[in-house]
Amino acid sequence: MDWGRVRFFFGEVWRNFTRNMIMQLTAIGTVMVTIVLLGSFLFTRDTLGKIGDDVIRKIEISVFLKDTTTTQAAKALVRELSADPRIKSVAFIPRAEGLRQMRERLRGQIDTSLLTTNPLPDALRIRVVDPEKVHKVAAYVRKMPEVASVEYAQDAVQKLLRIGGVLGRIGLGIVALLVFTAFIIISNTIRLTVFARRREIAIMQLVGASGWYIRMPFVCEGLIAGVLGAGLALGVLAIARYQLLPKLVIALPFLPMHATDPAVGTLSLELLGVGAAVGIVASWLSVGRYLRT
Amino acid sequence: MISLRGVTLVYPNGTRALDGVDLEVAKGSFVFLVGHSGTGKSSLLRLLYREQRPSRGEVTVDGTRVDNMRRSKVAQLRRNVGVVFQDFKLLSDKTVWENVAFALQVTGAKTKDVRRQVPRVLDLVGLAHKSRMYPSELSGGEQQRTAIARALVNNPKIMLCDEPTGNLDPVNTNEIMELLHRINLKGTTVVIATHNALVVDRMRRRVIRLEDGKVVADEERGYYTHPGLREALAAPSA
Repeated sequence: MDWGRVRFFFGEVWRNFTRNMIMQLTAIGTVMVTIVLLGSFLFTRDTLGKIGDDVIRKIEISVFLKDTTTTQAAKALVRELSADPRIKSVAFIPRAEGLRQMRERLRGQIDTSLLTTNPLPDALRIRVVDPEKVHKVAAYVRKMPEVASVEYAQDAVQKLLRIGGVLGRIGLGIVALLVFTAFIIISNTIRLTVFARRREIAIMQLVGASGWYIRMPFVCEGLIAGVLGAGLALGVLAIARYQLLPKLVIALPFLPMHATDPAVGTLSLELLGVGAAVGIVASWLSVGRYLRT
Repeated sequence: MISLRGVTLVYPNGTRALDGVDLEVAKGSFVFLVGHSGTGKSSLLRLLYREQRPSRGEVTVDGTRVDNMRRSKVAQLRRNVGVVFQDFKLLSDKTVWENVAFALQVTGAKTKDVRRQVPRVLDLVGLAHKSRMYPSELSGGEQQRTAIARALVNNPKIMLCDEPTGNLDPVNTNEIMELLHRINLKGTTVVIATHNALVVDRMRRRVIRLEDGKVVADEERGYYTHPGLREALAAPSA
């Protein structure tokens, strides 16, 4: 390893980085804002996703059995359905238990003493593994000979799944837009620094420096700006996560934010990676454009 | 060492800088390119270090065609061709030593080579004692010697000089020409584009004259003044 060459290279990078400090600060600031917005967005999407999951997870298929079905047959059915890999749990609700639960649910709303006879059949409550397969499982169960009817919140499931999909796509669009903005600003910053150093670049080209050698210091500058911006953004996000969020959870107890704690390490690395990648690609392209002229 | 065949250069604005130029320069030559401003001297030099491509014709430098050379090969060509300009093109925030070392460092030279080569060329151009000074602390002649040292440090086979004495007084001019002469004596081919009649006439080396982008005279031990004009001036007045 020729340390003299390493020292020269990084000396040049540092000198140029500090010489154009105002421009570099602009780029760092832009990356910071972008990553803060990106991080906040990912957090919000995660929270909304968890709210949706919570609702979907609670969706049950209510299966009402025919009056002719014996308790033994019903229990056999429970065993059969429990063995189905698509089904998470099956609960058998005998008609007496069903009536008790209904009375409880309707207490205070109607006079439950009017229910002198039990109109309910024996029932099963099924929870599925994958919410997207609710309707398939429901259709399968409906065809069973012991089953009289099947009910589940079909519309709710489909709406939630649809909203989830739309939110995901909008989110992806916003992320793309933010990354693009950071990309344009870093690329402009690097172009300005390239312009400020056009004399030096001309001399490098004149004495036979390779395109790679001319490009590398600028790419390193872009990388530094990207990583510094992302690092600062992570600081801001950490403050928001550990100082602001606990207060928000108390203020909005109905949102399941307390349940949300994305893998901080992975997310930090991903955001740093985004900052670094934006810095590298933007500077690579902007120097390349100059070198071609 | 240098060969131009049927070289024409037309700029995008329609200006015909060179027009069917044929030229051969042997290894180790010392050649002056002369002519009025705008006759194509600088354009011809730019073709030789591939700053410019000809519109037509072939340009060969050190056995390699450079007119159709790929961009990735240009860096290698330029390590064999030192270029010096009228305005020196030094980096003002680097010392003499750093300016010269820069040419080696950006081509990926090893540190021990930088430490060996830089003092050698600074000694050759007589600036070893000013190696820690910045360009603004040097005279015009010293700045040009720094630029020559930078052009020399890669041991080029060819040295191209575009008006190297254009900004210098007669004393500094003589020093620079003396230096270029010594460099030539070590085997480097030297091509100088100049307006300086005194220098050309005193040195009596090969002179190639350009007019309107064409070679109009090529004398082995020539003068700056056009041969026809010299005869007219020498003829006894009636």
